[in-house]
Order: sequence, then structure tokens, then C-alpha cells
Amino acid sequence: MNKLKTNATLFIQPILAVIVGLLVGTIAIMLSGESVAVTYQEMWKGAFGNLYFLTNTLERAIPIILAGLGVAFAFRAGFFNLGAEGQLVMGAVTTAIITVSLPFQGLLNMIISIVAGMLIAGLYSFFAGWMEQRFQINLLISTLLLNYIAVLFAGYLVSEPFRDTSSAGGVPQTVMVDQASRLPKLITGMNLHYGFVIAIILAIVIAFIMKRTTFGYEVKMLGQNVFFAQYGGINRKKTMFISLLISGMLAGLAGSVEVLGMHYRFIEGALSNPQFAWTGLMAALLANSNPVGTTIVAIFLAALDTGSLGVERNTDVPNSISGIIQAVLILFISAKFSFEFLKQRKKEGK
Amino acid sequence: MLLELKGITKKYGDFTANDHIDFSLNKQEIHAIVGENGAGKTTLMRMLYGMEKPTSGEIVIAGKSKTIDNPNDAIALGIGMVHQHFMLFPPFTIAENVVFHHEPRKSWRYDRKKAAEEVSQLAKKFGMNIDPLQIVGDAPVGIQQRVEILKVLYQGADVIILDEPTAVLTPLEVKDLLASLRELVKMGKSIILITHKLNEVMAVSDRVTVLRDGKVTGTLETRETNPEELSRLMVGRELKNNPLPEKVKGKEVLSIKNVSMTDKDSGKSLLENISFQVQQGEIVGIAGVSGNGQSELIQAITGLASVQNGSVTLNGTELTNQSVKQIREAGLAHIPEDRYLWGAAKEASLVDNMMMTDYVKQEFQKSGVLKLKNIRKYVTDSIKKFNVKTTSIDTSAQFLSGGNLQKLIAAREIQKNTPFLLAAEPTRGVDIGAMEFIHEQLIEKRNNGDAVLLISSELSEILALSDRVLVMYEGKIAGEFERNEASEEKLSILMAGGRNE
Repeated sequence: MNKLKTNATLFIQPILAVIVGLLVGTIAIMLSGESVAVTYQEMWKGAFGNLYFLTNTLERAIPIILAGLGVAFAFRAGFFNLGAEGQLVMGAVTTAIITVSLPFQGLLNMIISIVAGMLIAGLYSFFAGWMEQRFQINLLISTLLLNYIAVLFAGYLVSEPFRDTSSAGGVPQTVMVDQASRLPKLITGMNLHYGFVIAIILAIVIAFIMKRTTFGYEVKMLGQNVFFAQYGGINRKKTMFISLLISGMLAGLAGSVEVLGMHYRFIEGALSNPQFAWTGLMAALLANSNPVGTTIVAIFLAALDTGSLGVERNTDVPNSISGIIQAVLILFISAKFSFEFLKQRKKEGK
Repeated sequence: MLLELKGITKKYGDFTANDHIDFSLNKQEIHAIVGENGAGKTTLMRMLYGMEKPTSGEIVIAGKSKTIDNPNDAIALGIGMVHQHFMLFPPFTIAENVVFHHEPRKSWRYDRKKAAEEVSQLAKKFGMNIDPLQIVGDAPVGIQQRVEILKVLYQGADVIILDEPTAVLTPLEVKDLLASLRELVKMGKSIILITHKLNEVMAVSDRVTVLRDGKVTGTLETRETNPEELSRLMVGRELKNNPLPEKVKGKEVLSIKNVSMTDKDSGKSLLENISFQVQQGEIVGIAGVSGNGQSELIQAITGLASVQNGSVTLNGTELTNQSVKQIREAGLAHIPEDRYLWGAAKEASLVDNMMMTDYVKQEFQKSGVLKLKNIRKYVTDSIKKFNVKTTSIDTSAQFLSGGNLQKLIAAREIQKNTPFLLAAEPTRGVDIGAMEFIHEQLIEKRNNGDAVLLISSELSEILALSDRVLVMYEGKIAGEFERNEASEEKLSILMAGGRNE
């Protein structure tokens, strides 16, 4: 009973945030002079209107879910990993290069290139943890700045040594992934691929780890109170490194499956421009780092994106409408943070 | 009658913190308010000081009904409050702290000289010996408290409310403070003293009002009552007396040899050459004013900080500078000195808080997967056994009262059944009921043949429970007593840095 109640209060805040976000969106639509009903209808159609749009939305949600899970995991352990974008790009470019470099194609190629992508991304995030441990470099800063390095470095790799030279000019990109080594589509003719299944399974696995395993307990306690964790004999260093590694691997996987399931190559900017990682971060924050919640919110945020594309196609409202709604959501999350901070201060002041 | 509270009631939602409280204060009287934590003492005083508003009831000052909306109103009516936690600016001088917000001026400028003069005169008038130009941060705690009182006096208070003023003081400082309070009363002030220490009440007050569960259970003339009657009124029943049975000599469990610790940054010595043993079936008490190396000693024993010199042996295993995990596995249980910092995760559930270090036991996990059913049963049983009051084991720890959380921590550590228990300030800030219960548990552990190291700044606790007492002063062991030799006087002198001849 009591558990139900606390669960309910957990969900009220994000739902409220979404409702207010849509309300502010309404005002923005009215300002642009379109009918609110028509616009939201178009948004709905663009996101879920038919099988094509629905699967499109779900496909877009894949990297957001995976990156979101990664952020959520580190956050649970008390570490703010702002480097999901860099890790995602590192994972993607590694997978794209490995898959075309291996002498064989097929399932094994796919597995090796995905694992390699995850490993590199995991190590990239691990590196930030190491710098924190060794030189006391704040994780927030290091993970954030490592993003730029990753994006530019990947850009260099595909512009110079690994550029697909068969097509002259255009955007720098790697060589096409072989048919046999691609992640298959879930439904023929649609964009949705097996990455979605992987994402859902991982959401469940992460939820299980957090709730039901001793490692999840250690991560949770470390995130809640470092001193209590140390007092109980939990090794902070070890737990930090493992959770940062897992966090980075999940973000890297987001990039790898996009490469093997959607683009079939690494295209410069194709993974960083749509802000998958940042949307994932937002999903994790909105869902309070709950893995299942993160997945649901990630799909909702993906729907906002694809829906607003639909709006732009069929009305005069620009697709920035999705940006406006998301901005309000962010405002609400930060409001929640400062609200809790104030509550805390008040209690201590007493 | 200087001040009267009539039928004061304060409700927070369904919860009644104060229920029709009647209270009065005569001129030049010290009126003590006693009661367990959560009995409503502080709530009542917050209303008198304008920090809370009563739901119903009347505040009468000098015969006139008044409403007090904020502390400024209270100060204007001559009511001042000294809070439990000092509200001072450590880098500023005593004079600057005292005159703050009421500074003497020379046209538009702050008059530094006049401030010092005024404060010096005020202190002299009330028989306090302070240097107005001393920096507050450099002054000992006893002086800082005097500064708080001077601040209130400077604001022109006739009624001074003191909230648990002796919690942070050494026994000698307590004596000084009580003498100062008497002096203040002689000079025409009236004092409300909130406390839960009955010996102080008996020593200094004229009348006592006892609160329990938000109600007045008695207002008594101090000279017509005794501590037993007061504690009965506070708790609502007779307190049990727990005599320590004769100890049976056992083998050594904890052995500390020549342990030293220095601060890495400042090079200051924190622990100097500490050596002692704790045997099976005994409670060794370490007395001392907080901040004399007890925290460092705890960290050295439990592996939370490393030592530069010496050795720590537990149950025959050498554990100097080993990890917390290794030390715990060798047989350490540890009730930490600060339950919110070290002892619990506030937002986590009672289940999570209860399982710390136990979650790896065979009973509760199999290859890393938690056995939730066993865990929930164990937590439910423990909570029942240790009488932790909560609505559910899934509520987060922050909703437990201090005493209940402390019982939860005691349950967690005592039930580990380790050969050694380190209990640091096990009853700090908990009510008498919880204190009695935790003391019983510690004695039971001792009687079962385990070793207990009790570190406490509360002398009465040390004297009641310890087979042997060590005194810590400035990072050193200043003395050792057998149970029958130890007395409050002897310990107090060593705690303050003095010597027994």
C-alpha cells in the first residue's frame, strides 16, 4: 500500500511536467496561428498514425533508450555521466570501422563489431573515471569535454583514413556495411530493426540488476550516501569504475546498433546532430533513473521528435515545436531538483 | 507573573505537537522544561519566539495578550533565544558578533570602539570573562555559548530561552554555565531552560515543567521533586535499573598498539601513541569531549582512515590499514557516531538500510542475486524485535525519528553477532526510552561474552555501562580507571586536560 503510494508520487512529477509541456506547446501553436487541435492531431499521426510512423518512432527511440539507460546507471551510482554523446559516437565509429575491416561477414562479424564498439565506448567513459581518481578532475567536466574530442576524432577518422572514397564529395562517411553483417529489420519494409529488441531486453536486465542483485545494491547505496557505503565496506573505486564502464558501454551500444541497423555506415554528424544522447539524458532525468521509466520516457521523447516532423510536413507550424515542449520539460526537471534542494535546506536549517 | 502561555495547541495536519499547554514564568526564575525528544519542547519555544504560530491558545506577557509573528516581535517584547546550534560568524570578533544587527554607529559608520566597549561592559555586568576582540572561531565552545547569551542580552532580552545549552560543553564548562545562569537571574533576568539532563535541572532550576507527547504531565517546584519522579513523568513509567553482572575475564579481542595518526594536509597530530585492549565480556568506555581524537580512533579501528604508526589487531588478525570489508569480515560491527552521515542512506528504504554488509550473506543472496523473501522477513522480524516504530519497511529512513533510526542501526549491527562491537555515541539525541533499550542491548552483548568498545561524550552513559574507562584528551589516552574507581569528578578533570594527583 505504502509502496504503491511512493510509486505514485514518483510518477506525478514527470506526468505533470509533460502536461505543462504540452500546454505551453499549445500556446506556441496558437501564436503561430494554426489550429491547436489540427496540430496535435498531426503530431499524433506523425508519431503513431500508422505502422510506418509508429515503427519510425520506435526506431528513433532505440539510441535514446540505450543512451538513457547508460546515463541512468551511472546516475544511480552517484556519478553524472554527461559524456553519453561522445561514448555513443565512439561506439558507432568503432563498429563501423571494425565491421568493414573484418575478413568475414555474418553474425560473428556483427557480434564482434558491436562488442568492440561497446568496449571502446566503455573505456572512453572509464577514462574519465580514472582521471577523477588520479587527478581529481571533476567527472561532470571531463565527460562533457570528452564529447568534443570524440565527435571531432570520429569526424577525422571518416574524413581521412576510413573515408568511403567510392562516392566523390558529399558528407564524409565510412564504407557501407555488408548485407550479411547488418542488424535485420523487425518488419520488412520498415525502419525498425532488432536494436529495439536489444534495447528492451537491456532495460529489463538493468532493472533486474538494480533491484535484485548485490551489485545493484552496492551501486544504489553508493549513489545515495557515499559515506554510508564506505562504512559498510563497499569499494567506491571499484563500483565507480564498473558503473562508468557499463554506462559507457550502453551509450556505445546505442551508436553501434544505429550503424548496423539504420545507417549501415558511420556518417559524420548523423548521430550527434539529432541529439540522441542528450535526449537520453533527459529521459533518464525525467524518469528519475528508473530503467523501465527511462525506456517509456525515451519512446515519448522520440514520438515528440517524429511527431513534430509530421507537424512540419502538414501544417505551417515549424518543427521547433518539439524543441519548445522539450525545453519546458527540462525546466520542470530542474525545478524539481531545486525544489528538493530547498526542502533539504529547510530541514537542515531547522 | 512575567509571562504566561495559556492553552497553547499546535497542530501539524493530524499531528498534535502541543496539546493545551499551560506554562508560566516568574520574574527572576529559572524554569526548566524537560521531556523526551519529540515531546514538544522545542515547538513550544518556537511559538514563544515567533518562529511558529499556535493553532490556538494565548500568549500573555506582563498581563497583556500578545501575538508574536516573528523573532523581531519576540525581541521587541524582551524575549531572546539561544539556539542549540550556535548562530555565529566564526571569522569575526566577539564584539562584532554580539552587536550584529544592532551596531552602534558614528553617524553612518560602524563604531568599532564603542561596540567593544559596550560588549566588554555588558559582559562585566553579568560576570562573564571574555575578550571582545577575540575571534569567535578561535574561542572555545564554552565562550562561544557565552557570546550567544551576550547577543541576546545586548538585544535587551529579559526572558532568555536556552535550547539544550549543555549538549556541546565539557563538564567543567557546564558548571560555569549553570553558575552564569544563576548570576543572570540575580541581575533580574528570567530564564527558560530546555534540556533532557535531569541533574542540571536539579542543580539550577526553580521550577520544572515536564512534557510528554505534547502534553504537560506536571509542573513542579524543583526542591520538592527528584530525578526519579521527573523521569517517570517524562517516560510515563518506572525506568529499569540495569546492573552490570560481575565480568568474567576472557581473551583479548581488540588490541590497539602504539597507534598514531597525523593530518595529511596540516601535519597536525590527531592520534598519539594510543594503546589499549578490549577483552571478551567487557565494555570499555572511552570518555572525552567531542573532538579529542575519538572520531579518528573510530576511523583507525574501522578502516575508514589509515594510520601512520602502530597496529590494530582484531581476534588475532592483523588489520592495520586493511579495507573496511576485511575488517568487518574479521568480526567488527560498528554503530557509527553520526547516524545520518555514516549510519544510513536517508532516501533509501528501511530494507536497504538494514541490509548494509548483510546483503552478501548466504542467507540473503545466491550468486549475486538477492533473496528478497528472506531479506524482507529478516527486516520485518528485526524491526519488531528492536521495536522500531514505522508504518512500513519500504518507507525511507528519513521519515524515522532519530531514536527509531538509531534503534534500526543498533539492530543491524548487534544482530551481526560479531565478537566485537564498536558503539560510538550510541544514544546521542535519542529519547530516554530508546536509550534504555539500546543500553540493555549493549549489556546483553557483553553478557554473551562479546567485546564492546563504547565511545561517548556522555559521562553518565560511560559510567553506567563501562567495566573500564579510558579518557581521551587531545588525541592521547589521558587516564584509565576500573569501574569501581571511576567517578564523574575524576573523569571530568582529565577530560578538561587536568591531572589527578
